[in-house]
Amino acid sequence: MTTLVARDLVKDFGVRDGLRRRSLRAVDRVSFTLEPGRTVALVGESGSGKSTIAKMIARLEKPSGGSIAVTGPDGVEVPDKDYRHRVQMVFQDPFASLNPFHTVEHHLARPLRLHGRARGAEETARLVSELLERVTLPASFASRRPHELSGGQRQRVAIARALAPGAEIVVADEPVSMLDVSIRLGILKLLARLQKEEDLAVLYITHDLATARHFSDEILVLYRGRVVERGPSDRVILDPRHPYTKLLAAASPNPDARDRVFEVGRAAVEAAGATAAYDHHTGRWEEAA
Amino acid sequence: MRYYLRKLAFYLVALWAALTLNFVIPRLMPGNPVDILLAKLQLRGGSVDPAARRSFELLLGGGGDESVVSQYLSYLGNVFRGDLGVSVSAFPAPVSQVIADSLPWTVVLVGIATLLSFLVGIALGALVGWKRGTWLDALVPATTVLSAVPYFWLALILVAVFASALGWFPLLGGYDVVLSPGWDAEFLSSAIYHGTLPALTIVVSSIGGWLLGMRNMMVSAASEDYVLTAQAKGLRDSRIMIRYATRNAVLPSVAGVAISLGFVVSGSIITEQVFSYPGIGSKLLQAVQNNDYALMQGIFLVITVAVLGANLVVDLLYALIDPRTRVTG
Amino acid sequence: MTNPSPVTAPSRTKDGRRAMLPRWSPKLGVGLGLIGAIALFGVVGPLVVGDPNAVRDIGLTAPGGEHWLGTTQTGQDVVAQIAFATRGSLRIGLLVGLMATVLSAVFGIVGSYAGGIVDELFSLFSNVMLVIPGLPLVIVIAGFVPAAQRGSWTIAVVLAITGWAASARVLRAQTLSLRNRDYVAAAKVAGEKTWRVITVEILPNLLPLLASQFVFAVVLAILSEAGLSFLGLGASNSSTLGTMLYYAQNGFALQREAWWWFVPPGLVIALFGCGLSLVNFSIDEIINPKLRDVPRRPGKVAEALRVTPAERGEDDAVLTVEDLSVVYQGDKPVHAVKGVSLTLRRGEILGLAGESGCGKTTLAYAVNRLHKPPAEVTSGAVTFHDRDGTDTDVLGLGPEELREFRWTKLSMVFQGAMNALSPVTSVAAQLDDVLTTHRPGMSRADRRARCVEVFELVGVDPARLGSFPHELSGGMRQRVMIAMALLLDPQVMIMDEPTTALDVVVQRGILLEILKFRDELGFAVLFITHDLPLLLEISDRIAVMRDGEVVELGTAQDLHLDPRHPYTRELLDSFPSLTGDRGGFIRGTEPALHDGGVR
Repeated sequence: MTTLVARDLVKDFGVRDGLRRRSLRAVDRVSFTLEPGRTVALVGESGSGKSTIAKMIARLEKPSGGSIAVTGPDGVEVPDKDYRHRVQMVFQDPFASLNPFHTVEHHLARPLRLHGRARGAEETARLVSELLERVTLPASFASRRPHELSGGQRQRVAIARALAPGAEIVVADEPVSMLDVSIRLGILKLLARLQKEEDLAVLYITHDLATARHFSDEILVLYRGRVVERGPSDRVILDPRHPYTKLLAAASPNPDARDRVFEVGRAAVEAAGATAAYDHHTGRWEEAA
Repeated sequence: MRYYLRKLAFYLVALWAALTLNFVIPRLMPGNPVDILLAKLQLRGGSVDPAARRSFELLLGGGGDESVVSQYLSYLGNVFRGDLGVSVSAFPAPVSQVIADSLPWTVVLVGIATLLSFLVGIALGALVGWKRGTWLDALVPATTVLSAVPYFWLALILVAVFASALGWFPLLGGYDVVLSPGWDAEFLSSAIYHGTLPALTIVVSSIGGWLLGMRNMMVSAASEDYVLTAQAKGLRDSRIMIRYATRNAVLPSVAGVAISLGFVVSGSIITEQVFSYPGIGSKLLQAVQNNDYALMQGIFLVITVAVLGANLVVDLLYALIDPRTRVTG
Repeated sequence: MTNPSPVTAPSRTKDGRRAMLPRWSPKLGVGLGLIGAIALFGVVGPLVVGDPNAVRDIGLTAPGGEHWLGTTQTGQDVVAQIAFATRGSLRIGLLVGLMATVLSAVFGIVGSYAGGIVDELFSLFSNVMLVIPGLPLVIVIAGFVPAAQRGSWTIAVVLAITGWAASARVLRAQTLSLRNRDYVAAAKVAGEKTWRVITVEILPNLLPLLASQFVFAVVLAILSEAGLSFLGLGASNSSTLGTMLYYAQNGFALQREAWWWFVPPGLVIALFGCGLSLVNFSIDEIINPKLRDVPRRPGKVAEALRVTPAERGEDDAVLTVEDLSVVYQGDKPVHAVKGVSLTLRRGEILGLAGESGCGKTTLAYAVNRLHKPPAEVTSGAVTFHDRDGTDTDVLGLGPEELREFRWTKLSMVFQGAMNALSPVTSVAAQLDDVLTTHRPGMSRADRRARCVEVFELVGVDPARLGSFPHELSGGMRQRVMIAMALLLDPQVMIMDEPTTALDVVVQRGILLEILKFRDELGFAVLFITHDLPLLLEISDRIAVMRDGEVVELGTAQDLHLDPRHPYTRELLDSFPSLTGDRGGFIRGTEPALHDGGVR
């Protein structure tokens, strides 16, 4: 029973403003618990801080405040040096997350070796084919390079890489948003199956309300670094309480409600307190026109 | 504002680095340059009074009792007053006077030649990049050869062909020696006549770099979405090429002036030597050959300051053509 | 990112180790040939040519007989001298090239990977070294070192110290970009040590750049050394091509018209440098795939196979596409669009749905003839039925007619508004361009008024007209693009994934605007996206494309409730319903293995 408890996570980024430096709060007191067999979804638009949270959980960013604690089955907190045995991450863009220079084998064998799961060439090769099999790829793929794989295949390799150290907690940062639509569900189903088989705890980061609802047990809706609503996934999506969640739900494409009256006019946006939009290129929040 | 302040600060640091380098180098070198200098000075009948000795020691080191820090401070003080010591080879002229006499020749020659090769190179590069797949592509390998040619060798060839064999241009010098320098038409035309081959050397050997760089950027720009949009907008091809593709593609070339300017200046120094041009490059070599260390260092400083200044001007111009540098927040 | 334009599409699939080797081309061949020949001459030549310093009493002799390239004024054989000098130049070039590349790698790669203050200091140092002119510094240093102590190592070290900075800057920029790649983050998450991340994950991807910087450093070193030796400031214990030229100059070779003495050494330098530059061209093409030779002419329309343009049909058609085929010509021609027929009705939103590579973007570009080689329209017809009753055969228009047709009748909104607007020109100027070109009679004030008008239409404050694209948010840029598309009151608007990169709330706002304009201004929209649920909501009819063919075309309602083609069903099933039945959709039963990793 390995669980991860994130408590009051805060992340401030230093921003240069003219000659001054000021700090921008990207994540503001976010708490959640990841438990085996359960999926927590972080839902939000760009700039909501969801990816920053993913990076903090994966130890790619240091939290400015709060704590992340992983407790092993024995009830003892996992020491820092073992953290990465337990916690792994699947990245958004499978075209960027595999090194074009290396084979699939390299991507899987390295974590196996690093975490002492395999010794010697023979055992490594055996475990690599096992991993590939678990993500329904033929063992012959081990010798291929990323450019010989499709997006879906690459993402399967990325998932296998996350499983290689024997992780029990997996952060999936928009794992399907860069893939072609017809293969997205396949990847999500694969993740769901692996989760079931291994009793994984999953943190699913997404901007897509529909998959968040179907894929997770609990949803946290983020806006500008804060959790504005949280609850069981069906409840949050079908019966949103916070105006911002309502706005997101109303804005999402929904062919079942083709003739609905859109409620995303100025009034709804203002009611949600969501008049500002984050801009990737300038990295600033701007009042929407 | 931020951009300007940052650039200004950078060039101040670079200037300080150059001054310090100038101070440190002679102190790191074997031998005692001050003694060599003073010996030469004596040969030329100069006075070896303690003041002259100290001034050389500040530049070159070797003074007995003074601490390095206080030497350094006095050195900086001298430099800012424009006191670069006394030239040995042109005794008793001060170094600053020697430089002042030869600097205009180089500034005009290198300035005009560089500007010309930049403009022509950029224009040709833009055209070659835009009209890819036409006969203009042949210019690319041709300019590759030109940019691999050593400046001085090209100068030798040009002299051999146009001066020696054909006799169209003078073999050497910056003006007809029977004339006295002045702002009269006769002198100016003589200067232009003498400057043509050196300028041609610089233009021909540096144009390839600009052309190739610009061509590559143009090829990249041509596949950008804004060019596609401009085509969908039904704009004329010439307008798309100039206002959209070239306007964007020229930015890296301008930003790259810093790198190229150093090469051009280096090449020009040797070119001047081939033509015995009365510029600062020839003076630098004379100084080296005569162990005129003070002059040597003075010229190095002046060249560096000139290059830094030119770079600063280019950086400021860059801010004008790229609105993104003006971001305030 | 789901819909890369046809121009950039291949770049992604071409990475990997094989793509890190230069592609064979005549340029590369000539370059390698030159380098090989000269290197061979430098290595083997000295063994066969005899003593270069042997003085003969024949003085300056012209080429011929025993001495192919004549002799110097002291009767030394020029060929022998060149062989030894080439060896000397190559040696110092390689030496300096290696040292400078190592220096630039240390300062460029290590600094930028470490980040923070280390990077700031390293980069400041490289930039200062870059702006201090190299050769004058070398001359000053050489001037202080007595000739007797100027060995070739001294010269090499000095040249390396003054020659690494430009490369460091290039390497730094590339490392900065690489170190933010996901695969580097993934390696860290896997628990790799820093030195392994640099050497195993980053360094291999820098190899092409390092190679190109090395080649550049060698060229620079040979040229600088030649210059230095020519000035008589080179190494005292080695003879290089520059030294030869120094003796030629001082032996008055020029005045005595002894071309055989001073032309060949320079020629060897020039040819060697040229060979290295040609090789560098090929390496540059690896680093920047856009440089690969794709001639950039307007897309071709094959004349012979064209279908006769359609007569105006019964319905209120505004654009008819008949049997349109587009082929990417090449060794293996790719049929991107196969005989597609579509009719766009006046005032209608026609959705074009499909996944990446299905040909939807190619089709949209070909309609306006924006396709680029190697794409070629091999058959079909595109007819525009004007409001005023005239029909236009778009594929048959001459270049000038086509230019006038574009935007006045048919405008386009592209996916990434960040890149669709030129970053260095104000938004107003980019709108104004359209009016000055297509409405030459308009006064400046009228043009301004029209720009303000369209800005207000799309809900952007006209005060933003003077802004540059980087000053606008993503949503605003896309609104500006739509405003630009509205300028000339076109009858057809093609929108290629106009809202894909945007957040849902912003996207919804823009969609509402589009629907509003369609009703108010009455233009027809061809709306291209992979997002079928979105199309189901906003469009009147939908065409589903797969592998270049339209597999199903029907009203949004029919397609939603009663999809005929299995692929349409597959696509529909790919989008779980937001509010509909959960039905064990994802997390229920063990999934069937139909997702068997084939795609």
